Parts: sequence; C-alpha cells; structure tokens
Amino acid sequence: MLSAFRSALATPDLRKKILFTLMIVAVYRIGAVMPAPGVSYPNVQACQAQLQDQSFFSLLNLFSGGALLQLSIFATGIMPYITASIIVQLLTVVIPRFEELKKEGQAGQGKLTQYTRYLTIALAILQATGIIALADRGGLFGECSQPVLPDNSVYTLALTVLTMTAGTAVMMWLGELITERGVGNGMSLLIFLNIAARIPAEGGNILNNQGGLVFFFVCLLGLAIIASVIFVEQGQRRIPVQYAKRMIGRRMYGGTSTYLPIKVNQAGVIPVIFASSLLYLPNLIGSLIGDQNEASTWQRFLQTYLVDQSSWVHITLYFALIIFFTYFYITITFNVDERAEEMKKFGGFIPGIRPGRPTAEYLGFVLSRITLPGSIYLGIVAILPNFFLSITGQGNNQNFPFGGTAVLIMVGVGLDTVKQIESQLMQRNYEGFLR
Amino acid sequence: MKLFLQILLIVTSVLLIVAVLLHRGRGGGLSSLFGGGMQSSLAGSSVAEKNLDRITLGLGAVWLIAIVGLGLLVKI
Repeated sequence: MLSAFRSALATPDLRKKILFTLMIVAVYRIGAVMPAPGVSYPNVQACQAQLQDQSFFSLLNLFSGGALLQLSIFATGIMPYITASIIVQLLTVVIPRFEELKKEGQAGQGKLTQYTRYLTIALAILQATGIIALADRGGLFGECSQPVLPDNSVYTLALTVLTMTAGTAVMMWLGELITERGVGNGMSLLIFLNIAARIPAEGGNILNNQGGLVFFFVCLLGLAIIASVIFVEQGQRRIPVQYAKRMIGRRMYGGTSTYLPIKVNQAGVIPVIFASSLLYLPNLIGSLIGDQNEASTWQRFLQTYLVDQSSWVHITLYFALIIFFTYFYITITFNVDERAEEMKKFGGFIPGIRPGRPTAEYLGFVLSRITLPGSIYLGIVAILPNFFLSITGQGNNQNFPFGGTAVLIMVGVGLDTVKQIESQLMQRNYEGFLR
Repeated sequence: MKLFLQILLIVTSVLLIVAVLLHRGRGGGLSSLFGGGMQSSLAGSSVAEKNLDRITLGLGAVWLIAIVGLGLLVKI
C-alpha cells in the first residue's frame, strides 16, 4: 500500500497531476469559507453557534460542505450542477433533439455538457437568490436575532447574488480543471471533499456529547458500513460475450471472448440524491410560502410525517422512492436494445442466445433481477442513519459521515479516483493500490 | 473606493461567468459523475483554450481581490 503511494509520487506526470489536484482543492476550500460581500461574518458565526437543528438544509449543506450556512462565495455548492445534470439527463428521454445529440457520440455529448453548464448558471442564480432571500428574512438560521445581511438594500443583495453565481461558475471551472489536468472526475471530487471536510467536526461532536466508548463504536460501525459498501459497489455480474472472427482487408479482427459487466449497483448514488431532493422539496416550499410562527394544519402534517426524519412515514417513503428511482435511472442510462444492437453490429453474441431481440430481452431480464438487491442495498444504506438519531443528535443524520448518502458518495468517488490513478500507474508497470 | 470595488466586482463577476461558459465543457455530465465510465483525456487543449484559461485565471484573481477588499473595507 505504502509502496504504491511512493511509486505514484515517483512518477513525474502522475505527481504533477496529484499536486495540481491538491492545489485546486486548497483554492476551493479557501473559497468555501470566504464570506460573500454584504454578509456579516461575526453575525453568521454567532448564528451558527445558536443553530441546533440543521435537518432542514441538511442535503444542501452537505453538498456545499458547510459553505451554505457560512454564506460564503461558494454557498450554492455543487448542487446547481447536479440538478442541471439530472435535468439534462432526464430531458434526453423527453426531447427528441437531445436524444439525437446523445446518440451522436463525442460531439453530441459535448453539446449536452455545454447545455448543462448554461443551465447550471441559470439554476445558480435561482438558488443564490433563494438563499439570500431566505437569509434576509431570517429563515436560514431559525431563531437567530442578529441580522446576517445588515445592509439589505436591493443593490447590495443583488451584488451578493451575482458574486455567488460567479462563485458557482468558478467552482465549475475548478472541477473541470481537475477533470482535465488532475486525477479523477473534478465535480465528484469536489462533492467528496465537501463531505470529507465535515468528518472531523462531526466526529468531534460525537466525542464531546457522547463520550469515548460511543465514539469508538461509531467508528467501528462506520468502518463496517464502508467495507460493506465497497463490497457491494465492486460486485458485478459478468455476461460472457463472444466476438466472431472477421477479415477486414488483410487483417484479422475479433475472435475474442470478453464479458459485459453489469454492476449490482449500476445506478450509483444518483437514486439517493434524486429521492432526497424530492423529499426535501415540500419542506422548502412550505418554509418559503408559510409563516414561521403559526403553522397551518397541513404544514404541521408535513412536519410530523415528511420532515421529521425519525418518523416511519418518512423512512418508508424514502426507501420506496430510492427503489423506484434506481429502476428508473437504470432504464434511462442502460438501454438494453441499444446494447444488443451494438453487439450485433460488431459481430458479438452471448453464447446460447440469438443476437438481436432475444439478446435485448435476456439483458433486460438479468438487469432487472440484479437491480433488485442493488436497489434494496441502496435503500438500506441510505436510511441507516435515520435509526441512529439518538447518537448523532437530532437533524444531523444525513450529514452523519458514517452512513447514508455521505458514505455512498465518498466510497463511489474514492473508488473511481483510485482506479484512475491505478490505470495511470499501470501504464508504467507499477503495482497499484488495489490487489 | 467602496463604489469602485463594487463596480469592479460586478464587472469581473459577469466576465468570469462568460469566460467559464466559453470553455469547452469537460466530463460527460452525470454519467461520469458518481463512478461512471473512465474516459481518457488525451485531447490536448488548443491555443484558444489556453488563452482563455489565462484570462479566466486573471479575472478570478481580480474577482477575489475585489471580494476581499470589499470585506475589509466594509467590515460589518
């Protein structure tokens, strides 16, 4: 393990890449704690100290690494980009032009990415406005008397919104720089960072509030969860594919036997993100249009059943949504007909099954069977922290770094990044991290 | 001075957004987000892209300075 680290650093171009990534990360973290203009830093700090219940913005705050509640220049976090990507991804099903672009390959994909980036900026403006409006009305910090935005003239607030939007653009650029010149996928690495940055604080919280023994067990549990998540993430079914030999000109192609890997959890962590964003939507709407002081009946209904993360309605709904979205997302991303068609085109077939429609049917069959345990596993990992409310303290559960969304994202991104470093090492014949 | 910094911040913010949007997008959106396929970034960046990088970097620096300056100046 350690020798792998040494050889990774001994390779000149890989060392350069890793150092570049670290530099970007440093820039990003500095930006995440720098208060936006118009925001009163001392007041924000005072309000944060008062804040007990973070459940309301847990997801947003999770994706911004605590930058949201700091009202920093990167307060919107990576969320606009994620939302934009999800929307564009979904639109490829709805709008024929998008579907064409997606099928076009590299160039079309580039165009889709470009659309995603435009949409990101639009969403960033929306979200920044929302955050500022909420902070101005005092909704962001609950019962905090100090004004976080002392000068609330329209001009100053607009300036703050503009700065946050530009911050989102910068964040996007930083992510792309990492993708281009560093290691791993920049955007997901930034999310990873946001989550990882919270671990020491959360751990310290538990240590202070609950004592050493509980802390020890939580660490043990966290390690067990991480190990099991890695186990499932790596699991895949390999469907053998045989390619026919063919002559093109004077050269012989094909004749190889490979396999089509189908992961147990083909959808990754995206269903969890979908489900949690959807669940927190009614909450957000309620807080935006409702009055803070007197809650109406339906608001109280929402509060007890949907918002409260320890209620069984919330947990069941969350679980069901995750299973639904897993299937939904896999049918979107993994098109069995397309795969079967591709295989047929290049002279490949699954032994014992005719190419064309039967192959597509077989792939669909395998995929839906293997996704069932995959989706149940996703659901279980995601709702795990809801059962540990007493340990982590009310409202901190999805932020809790040893379970739920956080662990899924961390492990997914971590594995991906390590694999990329390893493939770079392999080019130079070094032994990698994973054996 | 405060007004100057604010105007500077507005101008650089807008320019920064434009400059970032002018870049060619990298990465294939969500599919490569959480543990997707591995794409090799073999294609080098063009001269225009390199210049754009430089411009973005300069704008970003001015933007940061304007923010820090405003923060120090106003100090609420």
